[in-house]
Amino acid sequence: MVVYSFYIFDRHTECIYARSWLPQSLSQHHSSAPLQPSTASDDAKLIFGTVFSLRNMVRKLGGEDDAFISYRTGNYKMHFYETPANLRFVMLTDTGTMSMRNVLHQIYINLWVEYVVKNPLAPVEHKNGAGVKNELFELGLDQFIRGLM
Amino acid sequence: MSSNKASRIGEEIWKTRIDKVNTELVTLTYGTIVVQLCKDYDNDYEEVNKQLDKMGYNIGLRLIEDYLAKSNTMKRCTSFRETADMIAKVGFKIFLNITPQVTNWTNDNNQFSLVFDENPFADFVELPDDGRAQDELWYSNILCGVLRGALEMVQMQVEAHFISDVLKGNDTTEMRVSLLRYIDDELPPEDD
Amino acid sequence: MSYYFAIVGTQDAPLFEYEFGTSKQGHDGLSRFSDQVRHLNQFILHSSLDIAEEVQWAHGSMYLKCIDKFFDNYISCFVTGANVKFLLLHHPLNNTGGSGSRSSTAIGANPTSPATEEAIKLFFQEVYENWVKAVMSPFYQNNMEVKSPVFRQRVAAAGRKYL
Repeated sequence: MVVYSFYIFDRHTECIYARSWLPQSLSQHHSSAPLQPSTASDDAKLIFGTVFSLRNMVRKLGGEDDAFISYRTGNYKMHFYETPANLRFVMLTDTGTMSMRNVLHQIYINLWVEYVVKNPLAPVEHKNGAGVKNELFELGLDQFIRGLM
Repeated sequence: MSSNKASRIGEEIWKTRIDKVNTELVTLTYGTIVVQLCKDYDNDYEEVNKQLDKMGYNIGLRLIEDYLAKSNTMKRCTSFRETADMIAKVGFKIFLNITPQVTNWTNDNNQFSLVFDENPFADFVELPDDGRAQDELWYSNILCGVLRGALEMVQMQVEAHFISDVLKGNDTTEMRVSLLRYIDDELPPEDD
Repeated sequence: MSYYFAIVGTQDAPLFEYEFGTSKQGHDGLSRFSDQVRHLNQFILHSSLDIAEEVQWAHGSMYLKCIDKFFDNYISCFVTGANVKFLLLHHPLNNTGGSGSRSSTAIGANPTSPATEEAIKLFFQEVYENWVKAVMSPFYQNNMEVKSPVFRQRVAAAGRKYL
């Protein structure tokens, strides 16, 4: 199983966190490199557009309670999890990966709530990702994801 | 979800997933905050109410996430009635270990009351007898803000205020909560 | 039997005063202090503070029992952990009239008897419990006079119950 990248979007549709893990073969020396800034924000926008449209379509077809979980292309699989507070977690993995919905849920419960929400100094609104990029959250996320791979 | 099930969930989470803290610590901490506000605003109780509500609002914005995480809520409530039950039997249960009664619904199901038989914030409290606090200060007003903030995050705009308080000599402590509207999803900005 | 109860703060200022009589054996719970004696009571209590401060360190417990006597006035004391003193002045009824024989068995007829000591102890303990609640109110500040009507009622209830 390979995890390519991970995104969090807030209820204002803004990407407040993005992280990519390069495939093992490329990352022997620099284990996790940030995305290139220019393409990264475009990627994030595209990804949000995709999941948001899909989510709305799914709701129209299957009712308000229906939620889409993942989709797969020839190259990757996208996993989606949305909290009732409209926080959206997205993860891109290789095509063979099983459902990551539970993983995303765990990230929300054990990392997001514990390290971002409960940090009293972090702002409530994470404009431009403010308050998300803290050491505990990033470290926890990295360990968690690497543990899966 | 039936209200019985809500009680069970609340009970279960309270027993297994909540770190407990001494009540007096909570009571005294909250009391200190209220008294300090009264001092800071020169006993302008209207203003103190407002500040408490604001503080609660900021707490609510965060607390909802903890609530969702602890209660493992994956779905929205299907009706405002269900929301009310979840607030009383899960929310209040897991954070304050109390279960206010949900009553006095209006016919359109958009307004209800929470009646507090117990209120850990108000233990030991006696309002100052300056002739105004009894009329003007809503001692536990922070709770109104908490509900307002928390529900806003799950796309419900509500208005909440206390209409009676045992501290003022009323028979019950009652909070009125009204649903103003459901907030729509925010859309991504149009690309030019 | 008449009682005068006072709570004295750490700065030796009175925080609470209450005057009452025994409710035992059909008495009405009203004090029988005459007007002349009444304001003497405050002096008597105040003068016993010095003794209380001496005795409090010798005792292991908060209840110091009867610490002082001024003519027919006996003073019992209880010191809280925060050095607030509860002082109770008890003044046995003069054995006049028909109540003489009855009051000989009453609590306080013999102010230093174990039964009286025990009753006063229970009274102090109940007042102490309520005192803690009263000073836990966030609006109460240290060494502030306690005006709470609830507290007064509870002291009165404790007086009725034990004395």
